[in-house]
Amino acid sequence: MQEHIQLTQKEVNRDLLEGVLGLPKWWLGATSFLVLVILIGLAAYAYEVNKGIGVAGLGRPVLWGAYITNFVFWIGISHAGIMISAILRLTQAEWRRPVTRAAEVMTIFSLIAALSNIMFHVGRPWRLFWVYPYDFSRGIFMNVRSPFVWDPSAVMTYLIGSSLFVFVALIPDLAVVRDRATGKYAPRIYSILCLGWRGTPRQWRLQAIAGILLSALVLPVFVSVHSIVSWDFAIAIGVEGWHSTIFAPYFIIGAIHSGVSAVAMIMALVVWLWKMDNYLRPDHFDAIGRLLIIVATTWFFFFFVEWIFALYTLEPPEIKLRELQVFENPYWWLFLIFLLTSFFIPVPMWLFKNVRRSPMLMFLTTVLVNIGMWLERFLIIIPGLARRTPLTFDWGSYHPSIIEILIVAETFAFVALGMLIFAKFFPLIPLFDVKEGMVFRDTIKIGRRIVPASIRETP
Amino acid sequence: MALTRRQFLTLAGGSAAGAILFQACGVPEDELLVQAPVEMPEDLVTGRDNWYATLCRQCPTSEGIVVRVMEGRAKKVEGNVDYPINQGKHSARCEAGLQALYHPDRIRGPLVRVGERGANRFREISWEDAISRLSFQLQNISDQGRQSSVVLATDPIGAHLGMVVERFVSAYGARHMTYEPLERTTLRTAMRQVFAQDAIPDLDIANAATVLSFGADFLNTWVSPVRYGRGYGAFRDTENERGTLIHVDSRFSMSGANADKWVYVNPGMEGILALSIAQVIIADGLADADAAAALTANLDINAYAPETVASRTGVSADKIRAIAHDFAEHQPALAFGGGSAAAHTNGLFNLAAIYSLNYLVGSVNSEGGIIFNPAPPIDGIPVAKSNTAFSEWHRLADEMSRGEVQMIMVRGADPVYGLPDAVNFENAAYDVPFIVSFSDVMDDTTAIADLVLPQHNYLEDWDSDIPDPAPGYQTLGFQQPVVRPFHEPRGENLGTRGFADVLLTVAQGLDLELDLPGETYREILQDGARQLYESGGGSVRAASFNAFWNGVLQRGGWWDTSARSNSAAPTPPPLLDAAEPAFSAGEFHLMPFESTGIGDGKGAALPWMQATPDPLSTAVWRTWVEINHRVAEERGISEGDVIRIESQYGRIEALAFPSPAVPPNTVCVPVGQGHASGGRYAERRGANLYSILSPNIDLNTGALAWASTKVNIEKTGEWIRLPKFENTVTEFPRDEHQHVIKLTALGGGDEH
Amino acid sequence: MADAQWGMVVDMDKCTGCQACVVACQSENNVPINEEAHFNQRRAIEWIRVERYWEGEFPDVKARFIPLFCQQCGDAPCEPVCPVYATYHNSEGLNVQVYNRCIGTRFCANNCPYQVRFFNFWEPAWPETLKNQLNPDVTVRSRGIMEKCTFCVQRIRRSSREADKEGAELQDGDRALNPACVNACPTEALMFGDLNNPESKVAKKAEKELRESNPVRKGGRGYHLLDEFGTHPKVVYLKKVDEEFEAHG
Ligand SMILES: Nc1nc2c(c(=O)[nH]1)N[C@H]1C(S)=C(S)[C@@H](COP(=O)(O)OP(=O)(O)OC[C@H]3O[C@@H](n4cnc5c(=O)[nH]c(N)nc54)[C@H](O)[C@@H]3O)O[C@H]1N2
Ligand SMILES: Nc1nc2c(c(=O)[nH]1)N[C@H]1C(S)=C(S)[C@@H](COP(=O)(O)OP(=O)(O)OC[C@H]3O[C@@H](n4cnc5c(=O)[nH]c(N)nc54)[C@H](O)[C@@H]3O)O[C@H]1N2
Ligand code: SF4
Ligand code: SF4
Ligand code: SF4
Ligand code: SF4
Ligand code: SF4
Repeated sequence: MQEHIQLTQKEVNRDLLEGVLGLPKWWLGATSFLVLVILIGLAAYAYEVNKGIGVAGLGRPVLWGAYITNFVFWIGISHAGIMISAILRLTQAEWRRPVTRAAEVMTIFSLIAALSNIMFHVGRPWRLFWVYPYDFSRGIFMNVRSPFVWDPSAVMTYLIGSSLFVFVALIPDLAVVRDRATGKYAPRIYSILCLGWRGTPRQWRLQAIAGILLSALVLPVFVSVHSIVSWDFAIAIGVEGWHSTIFAPYFIIGAIHSGVSAVAMIMALVVWLWKMDNYLRPDHFDAIGRLLIIVATTWFFFFFVEWIFALYTLEPPEIKLRELQVFENPYWWLFLIFLLTSFFIPVPMWLFKNVRRSPMLMFLTTVLVNIGMWLERFLIIIPGLARRTPLTFDWGSYHPSIIEILIVAETFAFVALGMLIFAKFFPLIPLFDVKEGMVFRDTIKIGRRIVPASIRETP
Repeated sequence: MALTRRQFLTLAGGSAAGAILFQACGVPEDELLVQAPVEMPEDLVTGRDNWYATLCRQCPTSEGIVVRVMEGRAKKVEGNVDYPINQGKHSARCEAGLQALYHPDRIRGPLVRVGERGANRFREISWEDAISRLSFQLQNISDQGRQSSVVLATDPIGAHLGMVVERFVSAYGARHMTYEPLERTTLRTAMRQVFAQDAIPDLDIANAATVLSFGADFLNTWVSPVRYGRGYGAFRDTENERGTLIHVDSRFSMSGANADKWVYVNPGMEGILALSIAQVIIADGLADADAAAALTANLDINAYAPETVASRTGVSADKIRAIAHDFAEHQPALAFGGGSAAAHTNGLFNLAAIYSLNYLVGSVNSEGGIIFNPAPPIDGIPVAKSNTAFSEWHRLADEMSRGEVQMIMVRGADPVYGLPDAVNFENAAYDVPFIVSFSDVMDDTTAIADLVLPQHNYLEDWDSDIPDPAPGYQTLGFQQPVVRPFHEPRGENLGTRGFADVLLTVAQGLDLELDLPGETYREILQDGARQLYESGGGSVRAASFNAFWNGVLQRGGWWDTSARSNSAAPTPPPLLDAAEPAFSAGEFHLMPFESTGIGDGKGAALPWMQATPDPLSTAVWRTWVEINHRVAEERGISEGDVIRIESQYGRIEALAFPSPAVPPNTVCVPVGQGHASGGRYAERRGANLYSILSPNIDLNTGALAWASTKVNIEKTGEWIRLPKFENTVTEFPRDEHQHVIKLTALGGGDEH
Repeated sequence: MADAQWGMVVDMDKCTGCQACVVACQSENNVPINEEAHFNQRRAIEWIRVERYWEGEFPDVKARFIPLFCQQCGDAPCEPVCPVYATYHNSEGLNVQVYNRCIGTRFCANNCPYQVRFFNFWEPAWPETLKNQLNPDVTVRSRGIMEKCTFCVQRIRRSSREADKEGAELQDGDRALNPACVNACPTEALMFGDLNNPESKVAKKAEKELRESNPVRKGGRGYHLLDEFGTHPKVVYLKKVDEEFEAHG
């Protein structure tokens, strides 16, 4: 099924290392713009630290806002990497090969972005480390019943796991770069980084084993992370619309939805920015498009079920909450945008082959999805906190302040900048993986299924 | 290329880190200290505290309080359990005495005006200098033999201070005028007329089965709210028979909100409604025959049958009958009125008719009814009286503008702020050569004064008080300093001084003969105590006078539960025929009211009072106008719209608060804001409602008919968020008939 | 005797909405001054607040007042979610707030069905002179910290210490033990005491009013606010007696 473009290994190296050894014209402009956005965001945060969290738009009863929304969003995005690499690797989906690294790297940076949101959110960030058992002399341990203790452990585990994952996959390519890098320091640094990789069969074998093991090990974390994040809300009996048993799977599939969409975006960008159309072929987009149809539809099913659960109770506060989400300003139009962008526009489009095969259209639709998925989190968190409870005296609302908006923007710039800088120093498309793909390219047809002719590498 | 890039990146990173670091240093350093994560002050011994008994002077009621003092600082105010009036309870306003004591803008020493009048520029001078200036002026005036052109204006003061002031003015030949923005003159006159009582009687709400109140927001701010609140608590006690409260009022006040039945009555028609209720009680044979006969001696009560007055009063005939029967059939029954009911051109008639109802059900000077108060325990120690009606202030303003007033001394009174613009008092004040203020915070009168002699806060000073109304027996409260004067460290010649002692010093300087039993105010009080000691009765018994004196100070006063009024219920004075109320021109009735926190305006200087939500609107910090929510809808007025309220005499602006409880023909606005000066918390916030009141008076008492103003309203188009504690509810929950629904979900108990 | 279980009874038939409790609490507990801006930002802090609910409209309108403060839940939803044990349950049934531990996640406030937790969005500021009034027994909170009604724990502590010194028992209804709001309340709508002590006034009142057996609306008025959340509050509310159902008993 994959289109064949025969390239020599030399060509592959040249193409894929161009971004590292050379410097695309647009690179500096893009980075400096992103750095500017980040600086503005950091200044806004400095202002918040100095003046107090009061500079955010929060108040009674809506005490969580844009930061937590953004936290959940980035955790969601982070699920792309493992989804693509681990799952597709274990399920031997060939088209994954050129995409894996970009996805994994995005995972790492979005996780960092997510964690930073917690720092932005709390009232006394300089005490944030108290959620860790850092100091028994205080005579107190942190409260292991609190999701805010589960979160950091889960996310950190995930961050460490996926970092290893990236690094292991990077080693052979680092060696290639080492061999080609010029200058005084670069070769030395790369030679240290690639841990003396020489490409001996034993090294290949170990690297492959590590890769497969890590895939298997990271998977449970991948599931647990977003379950736990969902429990930040699901265990809160005090908030109407949060206390729902379906949240864990609902959040995970939502995360995959936004994550995989984000990967599709990255793919399009890679094609345009680094001219990788030899490696990311329309049928790669086609494949991820198919995957997205499944993911999106499953997600929508959960979304639907969650609403049914809620409405089925017929509790006045629950009904009032849903009315708020769907009918009251500003939520009604946010809700409309959310529905259209996260499902009703993209999914029907993906049904068409020529949409799936067009990087431009895939890019646009997946951008829509991520706008929608950000709003989804917003619409879960804020209206619930607006407290449509019998105590109408305390009903409230929320508008993010300019400070919050700047800081949220900063997180997006941060992830983008991270990707750019990474791409400058390491190949964004894994050389060895692509080459390996070429080796296995010869395929035979069995019934209607097409499988590689050669045997997989196995320990 | 590479070089510049690297430079650029380091630069970027560096500056970012720098920004954070720099800002982080801006964090208050106490936050960077790592405090003990387990120990809190709550768990630690912080030294001993003492509770001293004294009197609360946050409002005219003057109740007994105890003040917690640690390390020479007052920390907390609570009710004095022993004190007969409030028996340990207190109001919101009471607590804020601490903020008056430690007010950041308290005047720290005597001031003399330097700039133009009204320019609000003063220079600090020594007490010596200040007092000699005052004495000099007084001397001058008496040399010209114009003593009567000196006016000493105070809040209504009684007991020993009342005596000192009376002796002073009479010895010098000056005039003493009392000032209350919302005066009680009419109430006192009514008491004299209906019950032949000089002192306001006590209301035995606790033991009443039915309470019928007219216009008086007695649970919130009227006369003795804490005492009435305490009575109300007992009255509501379901352990015994639970009483029924019927509140007749042109405004849905806090008392109305707590009533079992709130009955709207057209403004000024309270008296006619009362007559109609009397008619039903008499006609249905529920009344005490003799009382009925005496009352109806010179009027045809049947002219007030419910049907005939229903349309005028706005209360349906059936309702009137129901009220009458509720009232007469469930005794003891208590009827009283005041507030807006008394603040009409026919106020005295209203109150007379209302209070007379008590005769019909035998509730005069009997349990669960009106309880007469005895004479003061010591001769020559008066009960606080407001002896000056608004009409006299109006006259004074004219004299002032004719230059007939040489000097005004104000203490505890702010007439420049409180008198309606129609009186033109402020301008007239510019024609008074010498104005002296004893206030310890700036207020609108002090701001145009020539000399400011800041007095002690009541927590720093000696005083006594005869509660008015008293609890039904002789009571004399004693006020002692609970802390050293806050500004004492500034030395003998600066800081604040007690008002009475300043008067005494001045009298000495002018060698006026006051023949008071003491050199200092403290000695005078002690002499009063000695008289009580020698009388031998009462709450404090002691072997020696010293022991007695300490006992009195410890318990916050002296009282004698056996010393009650011996005057029996008089024969009811005949009722008079109805007097119709008169109003100024306008579309809406204007119902001024005192909000819980700032009351008549005294509380405006205190942040706690500004921030105390009004019970009904929960609004704070500003002036708002309560308007019927349907009227508001018709006129496209929504909460926060700035509304121009215009009477014949002026205009103010207030923020709209649409409410389902406001009568459609009425707008209600709180008094007490809009001070030109008054410290950082009061200055230039909200609007001064007094300024636009019509100068209508009660024709019999000369009291200001502050509920007789009508106004027009219009949107200015401006919008300001109305600060209030209730969060913004987009809409009142409505049922299918578009009526505001009952929020039974809250009742919770309904499921139980 | 077992540890005390502090509780309250709130008689909504007596509460007039007079706000005395509110200011008493502000004064006793060093609650920051609520400036106008704080109200507009919905960040005003009132450990005890009086909520007003309209019923009907003119002319047949009623307003109901309900004083709301920390219910000291037996199963407090605010407690398990706090990552740093800044809010936890003590042996006397109090939901304790340890300000120094709080890192300001605001999780607890989300999970409080009664919305009685208040967050310090700004550094509380008093003019120098007003600081003289602050209660030395109570922590002055800094910004970024959660706070709420403590049942005036400092008074309980102080009284217990005094009692220990004299080797005496705590007296039911002792004013040094009573919370500030209870002492203030003119109508005695608020009642405080030890629910574990069957002799205490609260225990008796709560027991009587919670008894379902009494069909008459007098008595049997007791209920726990929002107890469908299963929070087992330590505060018993007595519902308003409605004359429409019951004129003169
Ligand atoms: N940041 C800061 N540091 C300071 C000072 C300051 O003002 N600020 N002040 C300095 C001064 S002046 C001094 S004196 C020192 C005081 O510093 P420390 O001597 O440490 O005094 P504390 O910390 O008050 O008490 C020490 C411990 O004694 C315990 N303790 C209390 N009573 C008893 C008892 O009867 N027996 C025993 N064995 N232990 C008891 C207390 O619980 C506490 O844990 O701090 C100095 N350090
Ligand atoms: N609750 C409680 N009370 C205690 C203690 C306790 O542990 N708990 N500890 C006790 C002990 S051990 C001590 S030593 C005392 C200490 O009690 P204090 O002597 O009151 O000590 P501070 O309050 O630290 O300092 C008093 C004032 O000195 C000012 N100051 C600082 N430097 C200078 C200077 O150079 N010149 C002048 N003129 N003023 C300066 C400070 O600003 C402060 O206002 O407290 C005692 N009281
Ligand atoms: S009503 Fe309040 S302010 Fe007035 S005297 Fe009593 S306690 Fe003080
Ligand atoms: S009322 Fe709220 S704050 Fe108080 S214990 Fe219950 S959940 Fe916690
Ligand atoms: S805000 Fe403070 S008390 Fe509340 S959960 Fe967070 S850390 Fe705990
Ligand atoms: S119990 Fe104490 S802390 Fe709680 S509301 Fe009353 S006064 Fe405030
Ligand atoms: S003090 Fe008592 S009556 Fe007044 S509002 Fe508070 S609870 Fe109600």
